[in-house]
Amino acid sequence: MKSSPITVTIFSFLLAVAGLLTGYIGLSAAGYLVPAAALFVLAALHWFGRIQRFVAGVLIVNLSSGLLLVLVLAFGAVLGARKLDVSGVALLVNLLTGGPLLGLIAGPLLYVTRHEWFRARQTAVA
Amino acid sequence: MTQLLRVALFLLPLTTATITASAYAAAFKGKVALPDGKPAYGAMVTVTDATREQRQTVYTASDGSYVIRTSYAGGLTIRARLAGYEDFTVTQTVPAEGVAQLDLSLRQFASLDEASNALSASAFNARLPWKDLKQDRPAFISQCNYCHQVGNATTRMPMSHQEWMTEINKMEGLLAMVSQRQKATIADVLSRGFDAKPIQAVQSYGASPELARGKVTEWLVGDGYTFIHDADVAGDQKLYGTDEGHDILWILDRTTGKIEQHKLPDIDLPRGGLFSGMQLPIGVFSGKHGPHSMAQTKDGRIWITNALSSTLMSFDPVTKVFKTYQVGHDALYPHTVRVDQNDIVWFTIVASNQIGRFDPKTEEMTVLRLPSNGFIRWTTDMLFPTLMRIGSWFPDQAVHLNLSTHKVFGYSILAFPYGIDVNPVDGSIWYAKLYASRIGRIDSTTFEITEWDTPMKGPRRPRFDAKGILWIPAFDEGGLMRFDPSTKAFETYVIPSVGKGEYETPYALNVERTSGDIWLAANNSDRILRFKPATKTFFSYPSPTRVTVLRDFSFAKDGSVCSSSSNLPAYAIEDARPSFICVDPEGGARDREDLAHQADQSRPRANRPTRSQRGGRRRSR
Repeated sequence: MKSSPITVTIFSFLLAVAGLLTGYIGLSAAGYLVPAAALFVLAALHWFGRIQRFVAGVLIVNLSSGLLLVLVLAFGAVLGARKLDVSGVALLVNLLTGGPLLGLIAGPLLYVTRHEWFRARQTAVA
Repeated sequence: MTQLLRVALFLLPLTTATITASAYAAAFKGKVALPDGKPAYGAMVTVTDATREQRQTVYTASDGSYVIRTSYAGGLTIRARLAGYEDFTVTQTVPAEGVAQLDLSLRQFASLDEASNALSASAFNARLPWKDLKQDRPAFISQCNYCHQVGNATTRMPMSHQEWMTEINKMEGLLAMVSQRQKATIADVLSRGFDAKPIQAVQSYGASPELARGKVTEWLVGDGYTFIHDADVAGDQKLYGTDEGHDILWILDRTTGKIEQHKLPDIDLPRGGLFSGMQLPIGVFSGKHGPHSMAQTKDGRIWITNALSSTLMSFDPVTKVFKTYQVGHDALYPHTVRVDQNDIVWFTIVASNQIGRFDPKTEEMTVLRLPSNGFIRWTTDMLFPTLMRIGSWFPDQAVHLNLSTHKVFGYSILAFPYGIDVNPVDGSIWYAKLYASRIGRIDSTTFEITEWDTPMKGPRRPRFDAKGILWIPAFDEGGLMRFDPSTKAFETYVIPSVGKGEYETPYALNVERTSGDIWLAANNSDRILRFKPATKTFFSYPSPTRVTVLRDFSFAKDGSVCSSSSNLPAYAIEDARPSFICVDPEGGARDREDLAHQADQSRPRANRPTRSQRGGRRRSR
């Protein structure tokens, strides 16, 4: 089997570092242990090239919820009293799927998951 | 028995004179002496009425003399108190319109324990064993002295590190915003510092001729769980007090002493309002609105910021009708409110870094977002209301603490626009950001905002003087700041403490616009301070009550400056109840003069001294 491309190594490393940073925050605010755990799981899945559809799905949900959160906080006045409910759900979903740090690398990471190596890994596993 | 002996020794025969003024009943005059027989200067002589619901206090002159006239009758309690000495208390039934000659003698404390117990909280928290005072103590001052004294008899109970951690957990449920590291440090220091051993300290409250002219009146209100946040003298000269914990507006008629209470209308929110996710103690916080601060418009309506329900409310003192106005979808914790010259209501919104503007005529509400002062603060400003909403889905669990980044960075990641005032010169609106240590100006027409860093940390509730100079209490550094908007220059003054190594926590101030004198709360040492800008001198009025935590100051037409004794919880106050408190800077002098005048009237006309011979000066009103 081919060895993983350098981009996979880099993004796995970045995911792990993001997990460590988020976990450090979680030592003070325990809620951040959830996205920290999610980041470590994603780092492992990415490193081993497993269930990339799931990983890609998580990345899309993370990005979408983060974007929704920012948009609602900035322009959500039209939602009236529901504004904070929507932003609250968006924030919780974002944290469950890896938190805000993942959002910073989710775009390029999504692109990387389309790499040929992952298809080869999936085929090999199958 | 000891008390009876003291009375027998020091209570001189009464001389009764007829008093013509019907507003007064019992009066006392005499001298207070130190244990060595020398005059006690600056001692407090307090008369408590028979119901123990009111009391009045005067301060002795340099010769130890005092005169106090009260409206009380019946069995009255008279107490002499001076820092460093044991109280001397007698109970006496005074005939109606009688004047009692009563000399009082202070004694040394019988034990070190008693002496220690009489010290203010400032003596105890000054001795806490901080490893790095500059690094670690600011969070303690900012967050632990925020609502109450730490070091008084209730809060210096010896506890283990774990017990203090649990206690600070409770405070976090009340919006204390310490990081995990700060919390552990504070718990460590308090567990080592408060060990139940008595301490020795010399405290001086600074007797002065000004002090001897003053008189303090206190009216006890509610019970041990009542939490009157602010008090305000309205146009009818009554004192209005907002009970933040129970959604009650208290009204005191200072003339009759009668106290009313009006319940705020219900709202479709759970207990704790928008803050229902916090762990608000049930006894102290049973309400939903959390009425906080007040200001009055020219039409007589009183405007109340409701911190917990994030609403603005009007109260008509004539019809007693409340009306509620929503502030905005993400506004969190409307705080201090003021009214400008055009009767526009302005208020700070602390937890979402906003300013509210309400026009009572058009009922138009505008919410202005203030500058965030950095990316991290912007993130917190934007997210904090969302965290509180998430918390409200899990009532009384304080879930927001698990998600808020202040647990890492501490309170300073929030801006917290706190106090607000209107510049009388140009009508601009000025605010102080408590945690960001900045002040800002809003052009009331264009809404253009400009901000400045303050040279001292913790600017809390600023006020303007008549010339447009902004005076700012620096809570975290025990200081007073002066800011001249025309030159953009600050001056700073450190508030003198009452003992070595002690610090002060000035919560609020107000400027008496005729004299220019600044009245400040000195909440760590049970004092009210008066600063004279002309001489740059502080005068200290010791509070008659131990554990005095004052909020906003408000002036009455009779010259009194009034506030609410608002330590949280109220049961930690010496009376175990909160009170309205007013200082009349000339009340003591007036009592002396009036009693002397009455004594003159009882003499044959030829023997009466002139006013100049008595050395008196009648205050014009």
